[in-house]
Amino acid sequence: MRVLVGILLLWLCNVLHASELEIQVTQGRDDALPIAVVPFGTPDSDPPEDIGAIVAADLHRSGQFDPLPPEDLLSRPHGQEDMIWRDFRVLGTDYVVAGRVETTGEGQYRVRYGLYDVPRQEKVLSQTYEPSGKGLRDVAHAISDRIYEHLTGVPGAFSTRILYVTKNIDLERPYRLQYADADGARVQTILRSREPIMSASWSPNGKRVAYVSFEDEGMPGIYVHDLATAERRRVSSYPGINGAPAWSPDGDRLAITLSRDGNPEIYLLELGSGELTRLTDHYGIDTEPRWMPDGESLLFTSNRAGGPQIYEINVNTGNTRRVTFEGSYNARADVTPDGRFMVFVHRIDGDFHVAVKDLERGTFDVVTSTELDESPSVAPNGSMIIYATQEGGEGILKAVSMDGQVKVELPSREGEVREPAWSPFL
Amino acid sequence: MRSSTLNRLFALTLVATLAACQSTPEQEDTAETEQQDQQEQQEQQDTAEPEPTEPSEPAEAMDEEEEETTRPVTADNFHNHPSNYDASTDTRTVHFAFDKSTVPSAAFGALKAHARHLKSNSNARVRLAGHTDERGTREYNVALGERRAKAVQKYLRLQGVSSDQLETVSYGEEKPARRGTSDMDYAHNRRVEIEYRAGRP
Repeated sequence: MRVLVGILLLWLCNVLHASELEIQVTQGRDDALPIAVVPFGTPDSDPPEDIGAIVAADLHRSGQFDPLPPEDLLSRPHGQEDMIWRDFRVLGTDYVVAGRVETTGEGQYRVRYGLYDVPRQEKVLSQTYEPSGKGLRDVAHAISDRIYEHLTGVPGAFSTRILYVTKNIDLERPYRLQYADADGARVQTILRSREPIMSASWSPNGKRVAYVSFEDEGMPGIYVHDLATAERRRVSSYPGINGAPAWSPDGDRLAITLSRDGNPEIYLLELGSGELTRLTDHYGIDTEPRWMPDGESLLFTSNRAGGPQIYEINVNTGNTRRVTFEGSYNARADVTPDGRFMVFVHRIDGDFHVAVKDLERGTFDVVTSTELDESPSVAPNGSMIIYATQEGGEGILKAVSMDGQVKVELPSREGEVREPAWSPFL
Repeated sequence: MRSSTLNRLFALTLVATLAACQSTPEQEDTAETEQQDQQEQQEQQDTAEPEPTEPSEPAEAMDEEEEETTRPVTADNFHNHPSNYDASTDTRTVHFAFDKSTVPSAAFGALKAHARHLKSNSNARVRLAGHTDERGTREYNVALGERRAKAVQKYLRLQGVSSDQLETVSYGEEKPARRGTSDMDYAHNRRVEIEYRAGRP
């Protein structure tokens, strides 16, 4: 295993604001593919973003690629016309990304790039975009997505976002619900509060989020919040727990936890009509519902057998089966978009780790080695799991590949970061 | 039974006296302040505190055992340690053992005092806020915190307090009293806070 600490990190300080998350790859793949991302040519412009650096950082962060440091490049082509194949062959890199950014008007740009196959000496991908200055980061992530998909066969998830909660006790309103690009840039604050905010969840189209907020006199409510308009409404404020909202794949319903009937049970809340249907009926704790991608069933945590274990319930028939049997604590499931792998929190010797269970084969793997790991959330392409953990008493976010081989750290600059939720494809 | 009670009363008086001597007590109604006060009390008491014994235990037996069973506050006994409670409404925090929602017997006196106050002041309203330590998943901890709040609610109801005067809420691990990750920090964080919304004593 090779540890790549910071040295290879192509992270430019000028694209980073103080409140943003900084991302470091702490462990890459042994067989990470070498790739040269040539700094993009900017013949007549000084664009506000460095496209090449963003693409290189994206590819590096996936753990699947090993981008060459720009200072090692022997030549810096911007297209096929000035490509010197030999300069890349001697560096042992099979792929080159090269491009240029031109100005087409006030704050308007034209971005062209190509992905080049060195052994075959040919261009295998190319595209032209015409973004505004604000759209340059989106273009960079779109380029990363295409390159990643072309070379791995899996769609890239660089144009996605991460939703999370921060807590900074030095602030008058310590709790904040925020989201950022998957690389930590462009942080947006959705809500600030004196009281806790928790369990934020994306709608399937990525336009709305649901969350629990204790803002109303310290009592919990479930809120649905439109990100574009900032309009929001409280959809649940029953006596007792109002928790754990999870959006159904069709976007019409929330699965939620309520204890209004005496103890925590899973309910389905029809968002259009407000109609509430109770799904579980057990004197133990039932909570943390998560939809299977087909919308037919839910995973949830229950202590009906003593300690917390994960169960699956069919939302139409109510048929329930236990899914986890490994150890005495398994909780808070998430699932890959294909429904094959379940990720969850698993306790071993008093430590909490993220585990992955193959729901087809039944195999089980612990993929993190830190303590107090929680809130795992799977990328929409099923490649990585983002989760919360602690370092030096502070809550931070980390990401790990499904097989545990790639580890990425996203330390926070201020306060604690917790409960990450990876967006769907946007 | 009587002498054991007297003994404990003596110990508690000692606690209160020592704590009062310690420093100017703050009046802020925050969890941190309470915790700090308790800490001070513990520090004063960790060698002088007699272990609470079975109520039926003869006084002699207790005296004999006093030396051996004198127990410092540990993360394991913290929830039921007499130094965390007095038999008055000044006690606003009930602590719990790891993964448990049983009201500790050391808190009974304080809860009875709250019950008396609530029964004789029908305008008084209390919110019982349940909390857990940070281990485990967040929503599951909200459920565990609710169990603790409901256990205290049930105790007060059994003392004859009207249900109209009591409400519960659970914050799970979201509002720790202490930020650290030691077993003692966790012991402080597993708690139910008794918050007067009206008619505070």
